[in-house]
Amino acid sequence: MVEGQAETGIGPAIVTPRRGGAPAHGRSAVARARRLFHYLPLLPSLFAFLVLLGYPVLLAVVISFQRMGLRELVQRTTVWIGFQNYASILADPTFWAVAIRTLAFTAFNVALTMILGTLVALLLGALGRWMRLALSISLILAWATPALTASVIFQWLFDSKFGVVNWALTSVGIFGDYTNHSWFATGLSTFAVISLLIAWQAIPFVAFSLRAGILSVPSEQYEAARVDGATDRAIFRRITVPSLLPLFMILTFLSAIWDFKVFTQIWTVRQGGPAGETVTLAIYAYLKGIAGAQYGLASAVAVVMVVLLALVLIPYIRTMLRTQEDL
Amino acid sequence: MKLKQTLAVGLAAVLGIAACSAPAASQAPATSAAQSAAPTTATSTAPEARTLTVWLMNGSAGDDLIKQLNDEFTAAHPGVTVKYEVQQWNGIVSRLNGALAAPEPPDVVETGNTQTANYAAAGALMDLTDKRADLGGGTSADGTSADEAWLGGLNDSSIWDGKLYAVPFYAGNRIVIYNKDQFSAAGIDPASITSKAALIDAAKKLQAKNKSVADYSGLYIPGQNWYALMSFIEDHGGHIAVNEGGTWKGTLEAPEAQAGIQDYVDYFKAGSTGPADNDEANPEQATVMAAGKAGMMIANLWELGYTESKDAAIKGKLAVFAIPSSTSGKKAPVFLGGSNLGIAAGSKNQDLAVDWVKLLTGEKYQKLMIAAGNVPNSKNLAATATSENANLAVAAGAAAAGSFVTPQDPRWASVESGANPLKDMLTKVLTGKASIADAAKAADDEIGTRMNVAQ
Repeated sequence: MVEGQAETGIGPAIVTPRRGGAPAHGRSAVARARRLFHYLPLLPSLFAFLVLLGYPVLLAVVISFQRMGLRELVQRTTVWIGFQNYASILADPTFWAVAIRTLAFTAFNVALTMILGTLVALLLGALGRWMRLALSISLILAWATPALTASVIFQWLFDSKFGVVNWALTSVGIFGDYTNHSWFATGLSTFAVISLLIAWQAIPFVAFSLRAGILSVPSEQYEAARVDGATDRAIFRRITVPSLLPLFMILTFLSAIWDFKVFTQIWTVRQGGPAGETVTLAIYAYLKGIAGAQYGLASAVAVVMVVLLALVLIPYIRTMLRTQEDL
Repeated sequence: MKLKQTLAVGLAAVLGIAACSAPAASQAPATSAAQSAAPTTATSTAPEARTLTVWLMNGSAGDDLIKQLNDEFTAAHPGVTVKYEVQQWNGIVSRLNGALAAPEPPDVVETGNTQTANYAAAGALMDLTDKRADLGGGTSADGTSADEAWLGGLNDSSIWDGKLYAVPFYAGNRIVIYNKDQFSAAGIDPASITSKAALIDAAKKLQAKNKSVADYSGLYIPGQNWYALMSFIEDHGGHIAVNEGGTWKGTLEAPEAQAGIQDYVDYFKAGSTGPADNDEANPEQATVMAAGKAGMMIANLWELGYTESKDAAIKGKLAVFAIPSSTSGKKAPVFLGGSNLGIAAGSKNQDLAVDWVKLLTGEKYQKLMIAAGNVPNSKNLAATATSENANLAVAAGAAAAGSFVTPQDPRWASVESGANPLKDMLTKVLTGKASIADAAKAADDEIGTRMNVAQ
């Protein structure tokens, strides 16, 4: 029933004045106040966001244009040096090596997480009730483990002398003798362990999200496809993927951001070692800033990180938005 | 909507203005001259409750010693509580950088002698030049010379730009700690180990005799003990870095330094089961020794008492001898380590801090430090200490035969923090990933980068 229409039910309605006496259009102060009122509940979280996130980010940008070492920090002096920090970073060949390494590491982790996450989501659908419960519980436990704890545990698992992994691989026999094999001797091997660790903790989120997405697809589509004799693969490609495409894209986007700025796992495992081979941009910023007390330089690295990530993701966001429009 | 836009722009402007002025907004810590020691609380009517925060490093002073000291201090200063915290060496530079710059820094901090210049140059420590005599540093015209009081090396590391910024706490250098029982079982006489060849020989003999013990090392040496590496490098006449007209240059590529690195490799390959990619704290070599899984280890003298505290079974079974040189009959030069006690420039309790430091660096407690195996901070006490403590005499003898310190520059601290290029170099060589020459070159480049940062 249209607002303002009298409840007579005979013929065209007689328009009665709106309840409350306010005019129909929102130009009055009351309507505007009402609209602003809707934003009130946002204020606490907005305040927290601005203070805890917005202000430090702004401060980081400001510091990136200063020379700030321990002396400037202790004595509270401000030394403006313009773009010098950025110039020294971009001229440093180590920085470019680290940047490329970070992008490659991110791409690999995102692919690993998304592929395995999708498989686990499909698995959740295919399992019986008790197995599904057991799998869900183990996924949640993996997800809930603090990153630091998980990193320490993985170090023990992959320890060269006392680790379970080496013992298991040697016992199985087909992989050869892994006694005393050092997993952290090369950068690539160390990254492999770190990627496993990150994926292990990232899969639950992706799996549960995709499972929720799959459940929202109307089952009639699946039934109709099966009646038509479609294979599982075809069902996945023709029904699941198109319906879930926006969800896929969002999860990939989020994974990319999270994996790009990973710090805890990499630092805990080998502090960017061996010999700096697992240094990513986040570790690089820490080494320059906190360890090396060059806070201005590190802030500039942080700003460049954001710019780099934005450059990589903007085309992706455009594609994502375009896909949504098409749908 | 216009209102929203205005709000957003206004908010951004306010934040921006606040951000730009924040670093300079608060006052710089007042010069220490203006904060010279205030009268003690003896003259106040009611003692106000104050807390003195003290940070000492792991392994420096025993818990009993500190407890006794704190009891004495709080008895003399009613109303004061001492908040005592033990810090780990790993990551301490980053930790102190942040802590000393905070509005309420720890009042008393222990800084390694290689790191004191870093904080002094940044203005994070209180200027103690006019208190030198009061603190036991002797008197001198310019306030900078040791003047028969403090040990030369420690005294020099406490001075920056002609002013005194810390009080020497204790010194120490490395020796070889060995297991007497295992030595006699293998028939080795410690007095015969006077060369590198003899040391390797002893390690192999111990290894053969203790084959049944799992994970046993004749000489336990982990892959990243860069202090021991420095001894071997200096033994051949090499150095870590030299200052050429204001620019620091790493000198690990020199043939003398490479010979030292080769010595390290030889010792490691003599059968050590230590990790190639970690240092003497991971796992703690004292634990390995206490479990009887090592015949010898290169360590500080305080680690002897520390090892005994780990396992009662090892008590009384440990003794020491000096690290031998690669040249037969000589001792290897040792890194003169030690710590100083600094008072934060931003501390609100500088008067209490001075009293506390004076107590710990005074004769009574320095004698207790000697008993724990540390070289005390004053020359007089050091001389008497060696006559009372046989182990200390060995350590002091090694230091007297030849000692050195790390490059005296505030920026050296950044070489030791974060990823240490010397440790990386050792691991690369020991795991076979790079030749000694290549690994040394990479380390030299990194040291040069860090030590030539504009100040």
